[in-house]
Amino acid sequence: MTESDVIHPLHKRTPLPASRDVSAPEGFEAQDLHDPFEAHMGPLFERVNADGARVAAFIADERHLDAEGCVHEGMMMTFADALLGGAAWRGSGGKPCVTMSLQASFLSTARLGDVIECRTKVEKQTRSVMFVSASFTVEGEPVMTATSLWKVLGER
Amino acid sequence: MTASPFPAGFVQVQTQGFGGFAGPVMGGNNAKGALYLLDIAPQHLNGADRLHGGMMMSLMSIVMGEVAAATAATKDATAKAHALSLNCDFVSAGETGERIEGRAIITRATRSVMFISGTLSVDSRVLMTATGVYAIKGAAE
Repeated sequence: MTESDVIHPLHKRTPLPASRDVSAPEGFEAQDLHDPFEAHMGPLFERVNADGARVAAFIADERHLDAEGCVHEGMMMTFADALLGGAAWRGSGGKPCVTMSLQASFLSTARLGDVIECRTKVEKQTRSVMFVSASFTVEGEPVMTATSLWKVLGER
Repeated sequence: MTASPFPAGFVQVQTQGFGGFAGPVMGGNNAKGALYLLDIAPQHLNGADRLHGGMMMSLMSIVMGEVAAATAATKDATAKAHALSLNCDFVSAGETGERIEGRAIITRATRSVMFISGTLSVDSRVLMTATGVYAIKGAAE
């Protein structure tokens, strides 16, 4: 199998520009975004640690807040869907995956200017299903945990 | 498909911040009770031209959040509701131009916690089912 066989064609397209210019947090780079809704809410950032661990991040601005000034659950779950989906896609060897189920627990709130980080983990993979979890932190303090199930398209 | 007008009496909910930027989500009442509507637009899509999973969960969190806030306010006008947990199941995909109908019901409300279930659908096709646990803050404790 060649590299081009395992890369989903969606991810070969030209990245979409985020709807707003935001400087990357120290040590992070902007992710290539291919989903219009992620470009609408983004940019999203990423860094790869020396040990290969990936950390994703976004910076909370007023587009992401609820009426109380906290980051909206919808934004947190959008970030989760984007990042857990990326982990499922990488874990499946580049096969397209769609969300079947996602559960989020909101441990604390993030606010304007906070850098929300996400660390994902593939808990289990079968031929057709990926189980992916993630923790979300602000300055090391947990704000959300998520677990999810992804269907690997075309596999039974 | 051209967008048809929203029913009389429907107004945009959560107009500020995320709700306004991600939406607009319209809210109102029909014969079956509180109803929320979203027309799927190009900015709501994923790379496969379907409704993005994050937008689907965002709409669900807005629908359940509105119902939670309204229910908390019936106990104490100053009470606020916030989500402790949301569990969303992706039953089918949404296509651009479709109008999503969102509903949520309170399964049980105690003094401090509400259990809510919600559904998003396009006509008779279910897109998402979800359950949420919400905390009530500010009510007499």
